[in-house]
Amino acid sequence: MWLPILGLLLGIGIGSALAIPIPGIYAKYLSVAVLAALDSVFGGLKSIIEDKFDGAVLLTGFFTNALLAALLAFLGDRLGVDLYLAAVFAFGVRLFQNLAIIRREMIANWLQKRRLSVQEAKKNG
Amino acid sequence: MDSVKKWRIPVLITFLLLGIMISVQFHTQQTFLSDLSLQKTDDLVLILQRLHDNRTKLEVDLYNLEQQQQALSNDTSSGASLADNLKKESGKLQTALGVIPVQGPGVTVTIPADSPIVYLDLVDIVNELWASQAEAIAINDQRVTGWTTVFWDKQKMTITVNGKDISFPCTIKAVGNPDTLDSGLRLLGGVLDSLAVFKIYPLVSRSTELDLPAAGPPVFRYVQPVPNPQQ
Repeated sequence: MWLPILGLLLGIGIGSALAIPIPGIYAKYLSVAVLAALDSVFGGLKSIIEDKFDGAVLLTGFFTNALLAALLAFLGDRLGVDLYLAAVFAFGVRLFQNLAIIRREMIANWLQKRRLSVQEAKKNG
Repeated sequence: MDSVKKWRIPVLITFLLLGIMISVQFHTQQTFLSDLSLQKTDDLVLILQRLHDNRTKLEVDLYNLEQQQQALSNDTSSGASLADNLKKESGKLQTALGVIPVQGPGVTVTIPADSPIVYLDLVDIVNELWASQAEAIAINDQRVTGWTTVFWDKQKMTITVNGKDISFPCTIKAVGNPDTLDSGLRLLGGVLDSLAVFKIYPLVSRSTELDLPAAGPPVFRYVQPVPNPQQ
């Protein structure tokens, strides 16, 4: 349970320690990539909760989504189309959907557990 | 338990990478925000406007201060030149009055001790010297000024200048162009010729440097300058 949080903190630590310099003009693409990555991560969490988790899907989704989002934003800038906004929109919507699903599943799980424990208590009692 | 094992590694990797990406992006965004070339146009316009206003204000300040400085330096220089002029003017007037010692080239007229001279002869010589453009005259170190008296003192039986006895040989010093003064004295039928009639033969010698003493200051008890109507 604590492993993802530990990994996140470790990653933040490594990133801060390395302090990789990104030119200002690429910051936009990196931000889209981060958004895509966040979407993938929440998608992964959702799949865990829904018991449909697949490691390969998560990892490939993580990398391809991030890279494609950045590339599309870059391409959009070259073409004069704000694909960047499309990526932000798409990933943002998906992110909130995933979050909503996770929340509902967690509530459902919690309620089920409570019901089971109450039933068990009744059985025992 | 098996499902936990299954997702543990991929999730760890993704979270690790996500952490790195987030922190890198965070740092980039911080520098991005402080980079002027990537600011919003509106902000840049605002910054420019503010800087421009500031600059205008400072320029006005600078102009005012420069004006002030110029005014001050003008004041000091004009004050200094005024004082200079006054000093020069006062020096000129004092020289003309004869109340300060003066020096310059000129001639010395020495009247031998055994001359049968009268005070009018001295007056003649002095008049001739003034006529020969003398600028300052002294008889036996008595400066000849506007209030100088040359007179015969009947009681002491001596010639007095400014009330002081004249001892012989008497010397009359005159500052001016030595040639002009000398030729003025030696004019045909001039003062030396007149004196020669009475067997008085004054010695006239030219000098490049004569020192004339100062006369005492004038005493004004009744006289008052007439105010200039133009001023």
